[in-house]
Amino acid sequence: MSIIPSARADGALYWQVQARRNIGVRSLFLVVLAFLIAYAVLFPGLFTVSGFAKFTQSWFPLALVAMAQAILMLTGGISLAIGATVSLGAVIAATTMAGPLGVPGGAAAVALAGLGIGAATGFIVVRLRLPAIVVTLAGSFIIGGAALLVLPRPGGAVPAWLSDLLAGDTPAAFVLLMAIVLLWKLYLATPLGLSLYAAGENPVGAYRSGVPVDAARVAAYAISGLLSTGAGLFVAAQTGSGDPVIGNAFTLNSIAAAVLGGIGFLGGQGTMRGALAGSLLLSLMISVMFFLGFTPVAQYVAQGLIIIGAVAIPQFRKVQQ
Amino acid sequence: MTTAPLLAARGVSKAFFGNPVLRDVSIALQPGRVHALLGENGAGKSTLINLLSGALRPDSGTIEVDGRAVARMTPALARQAGIAVVQQELSLTASLSIAENIGIGAYPKRFGLVDYKELAARAKAACKLVGLDEPLSTPVGNLSLGRRQMVEIAKALYRRPRVLILDEPTSSLSATETKILTDLLGRLRGEGVAILYISHRLNEVMALCQHVTVLKDGTRTADRSLEGTDATGLVRLMVGRDPGDLFPKWQPSASPGAAISVRGFSAGLMHDVELDIRTGEVLGIGGLVGQGQEDLLLGLYGAIPARTASATVNGVSGLPGNVPKANALGLAYVPADRKREGLHLIHPIITNMMLPAFARLPSLKLRSRKAEGEKGRGLAAQLSIKGDLQRPAQALSGGNQQKVALAKWMPHDPLVLLLNDPTRGVDVETKREIYLMLRAFAAAGKAVVLLSSDTPELVHLCDRVAVVREGRVVRMLERAALSEEAIVSAAMGAERRKVAA
Repeated sequence: MSIIPSARADGALYWQVQARRNIGVRSLFLVVLAFLIAYAVLFPGLFTVSGFAKFTQSWFPLALVAMAQAILMLTGGISLAIGATVSLGAVIAATTMAGPLGVPGGAAAVALAGLGIGAATGFIVVRLRLPAIVVTLAGSFIIGGAALLVLPRPGGAVPAWLSDLLAGDTPAAFVLLMAIVLLWKLYLATPLGLSLYAAGENPVGAYRSGVPVDAARVAAYAISGLLSTGAGLFVAAQTGSGDPVIGNAFTLNSIAAAVLGGIGFLGGQGTMRGALAGSLLLSLMISVMFFLGFTPVAQYVAQGLIIIGAVAIPQFRKVQQ
Repeated sequence: MTTAPLLAARGVSKAFFGNPVLRDVSIALQPGRVHALLGENGAGKSTLINLLSGALRPDSGTIEVDGRAVARMTPALARQAGIAVVQQELSLTASLSIAENIGIGAYPKRFGLVDYKELAARAKAACKLVGLDEPLSTPVGNLSLGRRQMVEIAKALYRRPRVLILDEPTSSLSATETKILTDLLGRLRGEGVAILYISHRLNEVMALCQHVTVLKDGTRTADRSLEGTDATGLVRLMVGRDPGDLFPKWQPSASPGAAISVRGFSAGLMHDVELDIRTGEVLGIGGLVGQGQEDLLLGLYGAIPARTASATVNGVSGLPGNVPKANALGLAYVPADRKREGLHLIHPIITNMMLPAFARLPSLKLRSRKAEGEKGRGLAAQLSIKGDLQRPAQALSGGNQQKVALAKWMPHDPLVLLLNDPTRGVDVETKREIYLMLRAFAAAGKAVVLLSSDTPELVHLCDRVAVVREGRVVRMLERAALSEEAIVSAAMGAERRKVAA
């Protein structure tokens, strides 16, 4: 993370590049660390297995939707349909997993729904050249409506063993998150994954360089959809049932987490580790304010102020330079 | 030359929206030759490159690779044929590292993943060729513009091209970097690479190239060996044309007085400018595109921050700090980009004409539609803008849009008109009308500052022309000394050579 030795062997290029990407998020990591310490002081139970498990479980869905939003923002897009997609994932899980499809079948249905919705949205945005914000706003009504059609009122069920596994006293959520992060690193090491940045920041230049710009962007939407319905499955497991409007808050929280994590609105700026740190910070902020006895209204106001501050500070620095 | 050209265009033509940009142009790139492509701004150089690299398709004529006609040239086909283009606008991604930028679109792969080891080795080799010694993991966003240009060139070399097209590669390079590039091109030439080199720096072209193609207004005016030509000869090939009777007869203005006078003026790209703008004259601002001319106008107008040692504007000392103050001092600015800066296209013509007037009215006074309508009709008649003024401004042709952009300042009777390329993309007839108008303004005792990329316009319309190069006014040409050759030589810095020749 400190000074990169330039005389290292060529094989180390990958790690040097990775280390460089930390530079922009160092100060964010420090802020997250400070909040973590505050949290640990307020809630010493963090250091028990079940305390750690509960903590990661409250963070996990937000981490997933932050990734789902960040991958789109990196390509210069955005989604206002993330919350609705989370809800749809939750109701599909709650209606299929206890039925004849079983847990594997239900999980497959959730994954297919996410990939399909994402790919369709991406196709409309990218191929028809429509603004992402409008397409996904319309999409949020359609997807939210579909969730209500699947399950008009809260109900359904997720098998108890699955709830115990994902949302019980084991840190399974944390292990799962690490696996997802690892998969993301693998994706980013493929030519298509790395193209995300070029497609977001300089699409014309990328196209001229032979980058499959459209494919990279559609793939980003598909992955984003998959992460969103995955978050829905987890929320259903947490509550043991499905709720067709449970995901609504995730749309704006996903944008807030990504922005806190340093993802720019113009595409190609920011890192996934930043978005994850942003989601952790948001999750910690909510918990810490809860422990400090803030009323819910005060929490929202404070949350908003912190987000504006977090975005404004780097901007001020840039102006001063 | 007996070998087939690696890449050639035969009689290609291309038009955009009915405007011919290239007419029946041929060019042949031979292996082991550095081929210069010269022409003024807007002569069609970039379009020709885009045709050669498959980014555009010709309306007629053919593109040939290795002597065989290609039916449908595409960027992918061009890459397969070993054609690499270093464009003027960079194609880099700031947040990716040097190595990742160099390899993008052609990454070496292992098990479906980018093979960073192989990438590092190959990118390093390409960087070494252009003298880039920064660590390969450095994000491109941390590099200066000149270093980014070198990355762009390394990116082209990484693909081991047979044909290398460079569009003004040295415009942002330092002298050392230019030297490295020049040596490199010499070496590549020795290896049999065909190189197409576009530059406005004539001394570079003279030193580096063996063959030259000159474009003027979309037609080829020369295609010859560079042996036995000099810089002056090349300039003549680029500008020689008949101005015709497009321009009004020039008459000296009666009583020049001082309108704006600045010393030690710096704004944006411009620095240390000493300039006197007189009433009753048209002062031209010439030079190659993007040398800082626009910053000069915007700085005087208070639209971007500017510093001066001393300044007097219409008798008041000091520059206006913002646009309303500039307007109050009698300055008006007409931007080059009508569509984004000059007009509000979706709004009615009359609203566009009234905008500066709105700024002057007391904020909460009710509008009088009737008075506005009368004023608008008066302006339309004065500038011969035809048709219903309630139509959106985008319904007008480019020329008429320009007239609206001019008309909106007329009710305020500005003393100084700052015009940024007012005839770009304007048809000939409207050009004539605008020229007449500008001379009439000058005759009426106003100061007109005309920034133009059209050299004949500067020669035939202006009383004096300030030529800008690299952020400085390098020459002030008086009426008697005005000629296209003089402006172009001053703009390209070919003067020293001319003296030597």
